[in-house]
Amino acid sequence: MTDGTPGFSRRNFLATSAASTMSVALLDRGARAAPTPAQANPREPLKLTLKINGRDRELSLDPRTTLLDALREHAGLTGSKKGCDHGQCGACTVMMDGRRILSCLTFAASAQDHDITTIEGLAQTDGTLHPMQQAFIDHDAFQCGYCTPGQIMSAVACVKEGHANSDPDIREYMSGNLCRCAAYPNIVDAIKQAAPQMKEG
Amino acid sequence: MNRAAPEPQANMGQPEPRLEARLKVTGEARYASDMPVHNPAFAFLVTSPIAKGAITGIDDKDARTVPGVLGIFTHENTAELKKLSWSQGGGGPTTSIQDLGPKIQHDGQIVAMTVADTFEAAREAAYKLKISYQEEIPSATFDSPGVTQTDAKKPTPKAGNAEAAFNDAPVKLEVAYSTPTQHHNPIELFTTTASWDGDQLTVYEPSQFMYGLKNKTAARLGIKPDKVHAVSPFVGGAFGSKSQQTPRTGLVALAARTLNRPVKLVPTRDQGFTIATYRAETRHAIKIGAAENGKIASFQHDGWEVTSRPDNYSVAGVEDSARMYGFGAVKTAVTTVHADRNTPGFMRSPPVVPYIYALESALDELAVKLKMDPIELRRVNDSNKDATGKEWSSRSLMKCYDQAAEAFGWSRRSAEPGSMRDGNWLIGWGCASAFYPTHIGAATARVKFNADGHARVEVAAHEIGTGVMTVVGQTAAERLGIPLDRVEVVVGDSNYPPVPVAGGSNQTASCCSVVMKACDAIMAKLGGANIKETVGSGPVKDVAASFSKLGVSTVEEYAEFVPDVVKPNAVTSLVDDPIKKLYEGSPSLGGGSHGEKLMYAMGAEFIEVRVHALTGEIRVPRIVGAFAAGRIMNTRTARSQYMGAMIWGVSSALHEATDIDKRNARYVNDNLADYMIPVNADIQQLEVILVPEQDNFINPVGVKGIGELGNVGTAAAVTNAVYHATGVRIRELPVRLEKLLTT
Amino acid sequence: MRPFEFERASDNQSAIATFNDLRSADIDAVNAQIQYLAGGTTLIDLMKLDVMKPTKVIDINALQQANGNIEFKNNGLRLGAMARMSQVADHADIQQNYPVIAQALRLAASAQIRNMAAIGGNVLQRTRCTYFRDTSYANCNKRAPGSGCAALEGVNRSHAVLGVSDQCIATYPGDFAQALMALDAQVELDGPRGKRTIPFASLHKKPDQTPNIETSLTPGELITAFNVAAAPYAKRSLFLKVRDRESYEFALASAAVALDLDNSNVRQARIALGGVATVPWRAKEAEAALAGNKIDDVTAKRAADAAFADAKPREHNAFKIELGKRTLTRALLQAAAMEVPT
Repeated sequence: MTDGTPGFSRRNFLATSAASTMSVALLDRGARAAPTPAQANPREPLKLTLKINGRDRELSLDPRTTLLDALREHAGLTGSKKGCDHGQCGACTVMMDGRRILSCLTFAASAQDHDITTIEGLAQTDGTLHPMQQAFIDHDAFQCGYCTPGQIMSAVACVKEGHANSDPDIREYMSGNLCRCAAYPNIVDAIKQAAPQMKEG
Repeated sequence: MNRAAPEPQANMGQPEPRLEARLKVTGEARYASDMPVHNPAFAFLVTSPIAKGAITGIDDKDARTVPGVLGIFTHENTAELKKLSWSQGGGGPTTSIQDLGPKIQHDGQIVAMTVADTFEAAREAAYKLKISYQEEIPSATFDSPGVTQTDAKKPTPKAGNAEAAFNDAPVKLEVAYSTPTQHHNPIELFTTTASWDGDQLTVYEPSQFMYGLKNKTAARLGIKPDKVHAVSPFVGGAFGSKSQQTPRTGLVALAARTLNRPVKLVPTRDQGFTIATYRAETRHAIKIGAAENGKIASFQHDGWEVTSRPDNYSVAGVEDSARMYGFGAVKTAVTTVHADRNTPGFMRSPPVVPYIYALESALDELAVKLKMDPIELRRVNDSNKDATGKEWSSRSLMKCYDQAAEAFGWSRRSAEPGSMRDGNWLIGWGCASAFYPTHIGAATARVKFNADGHARVEVAAHEIGTGVMTVVGQTAAERLGIPLDRVEVVVGDSNYPPVPVAGGSNQTASCCSVVMKACDAIMAKLGGANIKETVGSGPVKDVAASFSKLGVSTVEEYAEFVPDVVKPNAVTSLVDDPIKKLYEGSPSLGGGSHGEKLMYAMGAEFIEVRVHALTGEIRVPRIVGAFAAGRIMNTRTARSQYMGAMIWGVSSALHEATDIDKRNARYVNDNLADYMIPVNADIQQLEVILVPEQDNFINPVGVKGIGELGNVGTAAAVTNAVYHATGVRIRELPVRLEKLLTT
Repeated sequence: MRPFEFERASDNQSAIATFNDLRSADIDAVNAQIQYLAGGTTLIDLMKLDVMKPTKVIDINALQQANGNIEFKNNGLRLGAMARMSQVADHADIQQNYPVIAQALRLAASAQIRNMAAIGGNVLQRTRCTYFRDTSYANCNKRAPGSGCAALEGVNRSHAVLGVSDQCIATYPGDFAQALMALDAQVELDGPRGKRTIPFASLHKKPDQTPNIETSLTPGELITAFNVAAAPYAKRSLFLKVRDRESYEFALASAAVALDLDNSNVRQARIALGGVATVPWRAKEAEAALAGNKIDDVTAKRAADAAFADAKPREHNAFKIELGKRTLTRALLQAAAMEVPT
């Protein structure tokens, strides 16, 4: 950053401008003296491999792309929803390495080397629904359905985390998923139905 | 036990799971912004940071240098967009403020749209677009310098001499209430995707009115309506916010045509606060004169509502509040206050939420004054007609009270404020009535019945979460005598026959009435004259025999249904053909207080609040509501709607308020972290009681709308409970804990 | 969001080394053109709003293995800065021996955000002041030094009454920091100029005349751990958070309280307040007022009055003085009544 132009160190630019897409380099100790230009031109797309629902997806993305937008606009997986884009509603909840996170506040580039599971990856390949999906149907745990993928991903995680042992616990640990239709009592009932089934399964 | 599927009682349909349930739990349900289009460009809106003034210059040099930028749309290159004339309701635009400038008439007015190859580039360009303004001091809300007042020009009931009756009454109550600005905040954002194929436009946009979207988009672009195909198979929450044409739609369509490429717009949450509508703040002055026994001789209700400068929007719920009990005399008025704001619009139960809150709060205050039980006060004033002499088509209010009170345990209430306590938590119990006018409109549908016993229903209805697909399917299954799983229902597409806007809770009544008519016509063709004997009991094999007798494999019927309340005649003062108007994007809705009889759904709601004695937090551990609304098509979807609505009501009382910076007429808490709506932990016990009711007057299916009933009165039940807990009467919503720290 | 270079660091040294290039006039870590990315729950949020505009983002999530451990030592607790909020909140030994830490974290944000946010980043989360977050407001001294403060005369219900200046009244929004404050935690740092340890109390800076400078971290300094001594008051500690809704909301007022009682008399009290101050707020006056006393309605209220003696309200947040006092009173009474395992 010698010339004050954000993001365009001259040396870095020369070193990488020939590439049309770049992968994200991992900085290591060897780079201490002179950091390796990993992706020196921020305008160049990053070439990423995201493992989504057990399948590797090769994507070429603007570095600013969130995991949510990568899923929806680049991987064709529109189940995860955008409701606020700022971590305030939970509609974009997915699992990363089995833990629930917000895909709207995660850069796609940070999701490399992690297992991503979305709502599309929850049912079995033969179409059998996950017990939580069936429980949401049984208890009418949605109305418009827009927050539902996030609710279900969160609910599955809530059970796996061991936070579904009482009604107050379920309510507290599901409070990161807003439902404007306000299906909350039915969501709690659905989780109570699915939790023991998940343990058996 | 599955609380979600209540056992049907008299005049109630089965709790069938939603037809689209599987799609919704697997992520396969496609909302407008999920619809795949080929190689879309992405748009980002730029909105005005001033509320009043003018754009003086646009410097797009930096924005255009962002790699991937395809176009920047401002008032300088969008003049070809036609202006739609605003009128309240009727499928029109949300506002008459439709231009991108240079005149600025409210904060957050769309002033530009950037379009780029990627969402990220469009957003960056939007931040790099420099727009300069000449700013004038705006008027924000009530009491702001510069606001102007006009008459709302709405019907305001008058009967008898209310002033004289008030003066003569031994017990008098004069109170004022206010309600805040609120925004719908459906979780789905206000997205639009436009794609052209030659001169044919497809618009994917979440909509509560497919034919409004189709026709008004065409009008904005100056093209013929048959060139526009509107698609919205699922809507991610609406609550009124997606019922009218917003300025964004034409803009996105224009951009797509200019760039010769599909354009996809996903506005931000904060932009949603100003590019659509909202529930405006209101004020109320109520005067009640009553006898010692509680009988109300005089009811006077004046309302004031904020609206935009150009548009005289109001909800004028005195039309409802003045009629709900057997008042001796009534006098009402509504005034609109024009400020530099975006135009308000329909938000779940628009007239009754603020006006019935005021009515039901005042009744509680009167009960306290009379030392009467608040339920008994309502019983004393229960009546078979209103002050003007109009009678009810059916009225089950006190039945609702009796059942809800029993379930809630009201008889264990000690009346004295502050007298019930659990440790450091003060307990309060309150109740209030819910009322919602029954609406119905002209509608059309197409039903195809195949010899194999499968049927397909096509209606341009709106699956906003109400379960319309399911109840339409149930209606068809019943009339055709086939199981529900043999009925396919398709909605949300302007290629299907039109139905009214999904507003005013008319959709079930309108759609089911017309689908019933189409099905009955099919059965008439198949089975001869005596349909009634066939309906609901005709085994499929008999139908199959009828098909072979006719020598066809499919019978298809298109039906049009025009209810009496919207038939052109002297009473309704309508002249146009409602079906023709519907196709042109103007729904005809009637009912409520405007027919021969008063047609309303009703309910009674009971709330327990707990207020921390020291720190004042207000929590709601228990909610009970009992509702009567004519035929219930599906007890599962009905219960869910009541449940969600009551939570809306609690939210309206305790949480929701859009704060306005009065210096610049801007909404400040325009995000979901600061605009409070309840989270899961805010709701504990909730019970819905479906009270059987039959009403053969209202419409062929006997259905009163329910989607907007449950959140009416709730706010009053909450504030009444807060008074009971603390002795503090909150007359300005929302109840926030700082108002309770005084003791 | 502005374009940026994205890199992933595999260890502290390589992460810190990226700052070797930095020659700009960055005055502190928060404003540096290079930003570390851990959970991303503040950084990405503010980058989308165009409030933060780093030109380089260093993803340090790979440092979790090295910097994410939770260790109990004879002399206390060491929390690796890359531990996620949920890991610490769910840790049974922390729940038992340092309840104020576990409670503050459990009451913060949502389960998803707690899974994402590293505790080192959490203490650096930035204010929720609407005039700071919305760049279309010209006046924000924190965002644009010298431009003024729109909140002073604006909608300021959520703003601070303690530690304010005539330049800024933005509230520090977090919860966990108050727990660290009350427990006198130390912060381990690593940076371009080497390692150092500072008291947690000196990490955040009051706005005074430079609200844009929020911390004492220099560009490139990385929080690697928090150390909490095994003090006698740690077990009798709690976090009380008061807010409009039951969950998933920032505090209107909060109190982190830790007590060491001699029978029922206060030997030592540690108090930090949240939701009411511009920084995690240590209430030493309240602590002093309690020393030697038995905690009851009167002494707790007297301490609370002392804590807010210098409070400066604005139009919509005057209630926070009364609410803050009552919150502290309630927390003290509750802590004094705690059953503490020995």
